[in-house]
Amino acid sequence: MVTIAADASGRDVVKQWIDAAKPSHWTLLDPDLAVANLYNVRNVPSAFWIDETGRIVRANDPIYALRRGPAGGDASRNEPYLNAVRDWVANGPSSKYLADDAAIEKRRRSASFGDMEALANFELGVYLLRRGHSSSAQRHFDRAQELAPDNWTYRRQAWSLTGATRETIVKAIRDPAAPAFYPELDLGD
Amino acid sequence: MVGPTADSPVTLIVDGNTAAANRALPHGEDLWLPLDDLLSATSWELKPEGVCRGETCVPLSSSQRAAMLREEQASTWFNFSEFARLIEAPVAVDHEARTWYFGPPGWEWKSWSEGRAAPDFTAPDLTGQLHSLHDLLGRKVFLLFWASW
Repeated sequence: MVTIAADASGRDVVKQWIDAAKPSHWTLLDPDLAVANLYNVRNVPSAFWIDETGRIVRANDPIYALRRGPAGGDASRNEPYLNAVRDWVANGPSSKYLADDAAIEKRRRSASFGDMEALANFELGVYLLRRGHSSSAQRHFDRAQELAPDNWTYRRQAWSLTGATRETIVKAIRDPAAPAFYPELDLGD
Repeated sequence: MVGPTADSPVTLIVDGNTAAANRALPHGEDLWLPLDDLLSATSWELKPEGVCRGETCVPLSSSQRAAMLREEQASTWFNFSEFARLIEAPVAVDHEARTWYFGPPGWEWKSWSEGRAAPDFTAPDLTGQLHSLHDLLGRKVFLLFWASW
């Protein structure tokens, strides 16, 4: 188990969550979202399964293994997904949950030049914001969003960094014209 | 002679490395750098065999080479934006902050999703210790991306 904090909010923000979880696995930091970009992650949480030979056998699954209700803090577990993980751990290459090439290709999707221009604008925005150029940064965040509208990671990170209101965020996510916030989790059974 | 007459400092971010170029000629969407500063500002350098970074060399035809070079203000200047276009590196510019971001070349970003091999990476933990995915070969890896927001 390896977790990657694809988060430009700063080490202290991320640290609270890691400390609270007291994990024994690697908990790595990705403040420039470089690893997230390498895997073409377009929203979080997102999970990959990698086998013993370094091959991806499931890609970019939109998952909440454990979700807490905002009011009571009550947890609901994503049992079907957790069972799929357990099946893979037990059965390895013969697990019925391994994705085929077509499914992996669909979930990973090759980056286009437009995706890369979005990345360049997003990274430039983060750089400028860290140096106090917030209006310039916002221009580049907006441009990144135009170029890669399905990349919610860029949008959500920009909202977080620029202090967007909850109303703005909910409106954007619920916009019927917007790309799916989380694609459907397809366990193939 | 077409182009700007004054030179001024700019910030360049090339493949994640930030450098200042004290002399630069931003001209529209193109950024010209003194050939002498090319290596320190971008980690690329012009050699007889092409434009090189370490062992990697991008060969240039004589017309490409001519289009990337110009003589002005008693210096030779190199059009780094033209080179970025050639290698399909994405570019973002902020003229106000005089900052230019150059992403990875096309052969790198196109390889990210090729085949089934998980792209290798090295990233730090909270203590700053670096960890690489390739160290986990021989074990199953459940790789989870998350964020605080």
